Amino acid sequence: MLTINNLHVNVENKEVLKGVNLNIPSNEVHTLFGPNGSGKSVLISTIMGYPEYEITQGEILFNNQNINELSIDERVKLGIGVSEQLPPTIRGVKLKNLVDLLAPEKMNDEVFRRDMIDRFDMGEFLERNINDALSGGEMKKSELFLVLVTKPEFLILDEPDSGVDPEHLKRIGAMINETLHKENRWTGDCDPIVKNSGLIATHSAAILNYIHTDKAHVMLDGKIKCSGNPGIMMEQIRSHGYRYCIDCQQNNLEE
Amino acid sequence: MMEQLSGLYIKEMAQLGELKVDYAGFNEIEEANEVYNSVEDIKLNGDEISSLKSVGVNLYDDSATGKFLMYGTNVYRSIPKIPGVEIIPLKEALLIYPEIKDQYYFKAVNPDQDEFTKTALNKVQNGYFIRVKKNVVVDEPLHTALFMHKEMSTMCIHNIVVLEEGAHLHLITGCTSGCTLKGGLHIAVSEHFVGKRAKLISSMIHNWGTDFIVRPRTATIVEDEGTFVSNYYSVKPPKHIQTNPFTHLKGKNASAKYMTVLASFPDTHCDIGGTVLMDGENSGAELVARAVNHGGNVIQTGLLIGAAKGTRAHVDCSGLMLNEGGIIEAIPGLRAIHPDARMSHEAAIGRIDMGEVNYLQSKGLDEMQAIALIVRGFLDIGIEVEGLDAELEETIQQIAELSGHGEG
Repeated sequence: MLTINNLHVNVENKEVLKGVNLNIPSNEVHTLFGPNGSGKSVLISTIMGYPEYEITQGEILFNNQNINELSIDERVKLGIGVSEQLPPTIRGVKLKNLVDLLAPEKMNDEVFRRDMIDRFDMGEFLERNINDALSGGEMKKSELFLVLVTKPEFLILDEPDSGVDPEHLKRIGAMINETLHKENRWTGDCDPIVKNSGLIATHSAAILNYIHTDKAHVMLDGKIKCSGNPGIMMEQIRSHGYRYCIDCQQNNLEE
Repeated sequence: MMEQLSGLYIKEMAQLGELKVDYAGFNEIEEANEVYNSVEDIKLNGDEISSLKSVGVNLYDDSATGKFLMYGTNVYRSIPKIPGVEIIPLKEALLIYPEIKDQYYFKAVNPDQDEFTKTALNKVQNGYFIRVKKNVVVDEPLHTALFMHKEMSTMCIHNIVVLEEGAHLHLITGCTSGCTLKGGLHIAVSEHFVGKRAKLISSMIHNWGTDFIVRPRTATIVEDEGTFVSNYYSVKPPKHIQTNPFTHLKGKNASAKYMTVLASFPDTHCDIGGTVLMDGENSGAELVARAVNHGGNVIQTGLLIGAAKGTRAHVDCSGLMLNEGGIIEAIPGLRAIHPDARMSHEAAIGRIDMGEVNYLQSKGLDEMQAIALIVRGFLDIGIEVEGLDAELEETIQQIAELSGHGEG
């Protein structure tokens, strides 16, 4: 599904990603751990094609297609969806205006519209300006709602748990699970086994109490340093912090 | 560099003679002709009907409120079916009600103000006289239009609107030229008289050819507890427009609100202001201006003058620069001449935020859709006007979509 080979990225002429390799097959969701400033958000922004992130080397493949040169919206049309960590506020633009443009056919279907809005308790946000004066939890909910409307094949979540209170976190976990579930094309039901793929970046790992991921990676200083079982890695990071990973790297080098 | 630092652009330009307009190229003002009571007699073609619709004017519905169209030198007027509402061509009104001359004619606008008001005094073709009698509340908007259809012609009109005590009216005025027309000179004197507890909403939509010169001269007098709201939308600017509508809040608790939205293009010059004198105790004024600039010159001026106890005012001028060329100069002005006046202002000019564009693209919009949506939001200044929504929505959408195409 998503393969990244030897990705080097500059931001304002400074190398920030220094040779990232990552492979997320279809039907798998991976976690990306890493302390603040390790390069997680840069990696996500580069996958999305934000113009200020300059790829100097390497490639990003989505379903075997090199997407290095595609615009942001072309990547979205291929099936990549993102929920941002700190989305901007857009003055005067109501969430409803954006939702109507994103999924005009679906949102014109009054039954679908009502169901989506009620299930995710989004009624009050639709008439508000996008991300304006929202709490941390509300902002994440709004981001996930936008992703849910378009249902991407590959979901990228940047710190879905940062600044979120426990009550909202539970709801957000449920929304992520909903997005990850793939609709069974024969029965129209959600098949719990078959799911969309995704990459979830988190430094606190709080969201992992609510969703299952298949594999985890730790990013340090612009590189993926190690990969493994998300549960085990989460425990180690919780007990020892990211020092655990640095020590592990050093041990590997010494051996 | 020195020119850019040396003072207000508008003043510099005026001193350099850059703003001088050669009026000799326009044809002499023609005498007014017929007044028709049936819209069919005016014989508008399909393009002309569309042009009028694009400035919010529909002459073909069977609204009871009445209609007025000045088409070159001819007038069409549909008589209102609502008791207490009058629309009369001004020349006829001056004959029927000679007292208008003493009460209203050039009583808000000074005829000696400049060469255009003098021209209107001496050579006016016609215009409308609209009066809403005491306590008559008109629910539906009244559509009026000023349509220029002859190349390089001059239209010179004078409009008077009188709202008696407690009357309410929403007046929509569309000013436009035929879509194939390039040039012309449009001079319009408008005087509004808003009585005690009366409310006048005046929504004006402009759409002009590339070589038009437009000189509106507008003044409004508002009595105790009266409200005046002016909404101005310019979809396509003329080559040169200069206007600074003046409102005198004469009465206690009177209020005025100016909302101005315009799109500017290369080789056009828009100098659009607004001045409100708050003379009445506890009167209030708000002026909000938004400009989307694709490369023209835009001057946003506003001057609010607090001259009585308890007056309050706010002016907000913002501009989006969507092109490398062009100028926006925002001059939000406040003048307190009473110690109890409370006044504030804000102004912001900048490019469109590419972070916002990228964000919307990451949700699935293409670049043009994203820019159009952001511009749409920028122009949304909370105007809630009954009866104009559909047309207004379309006009704003048009400005926003043009912006999407203009970027990059």
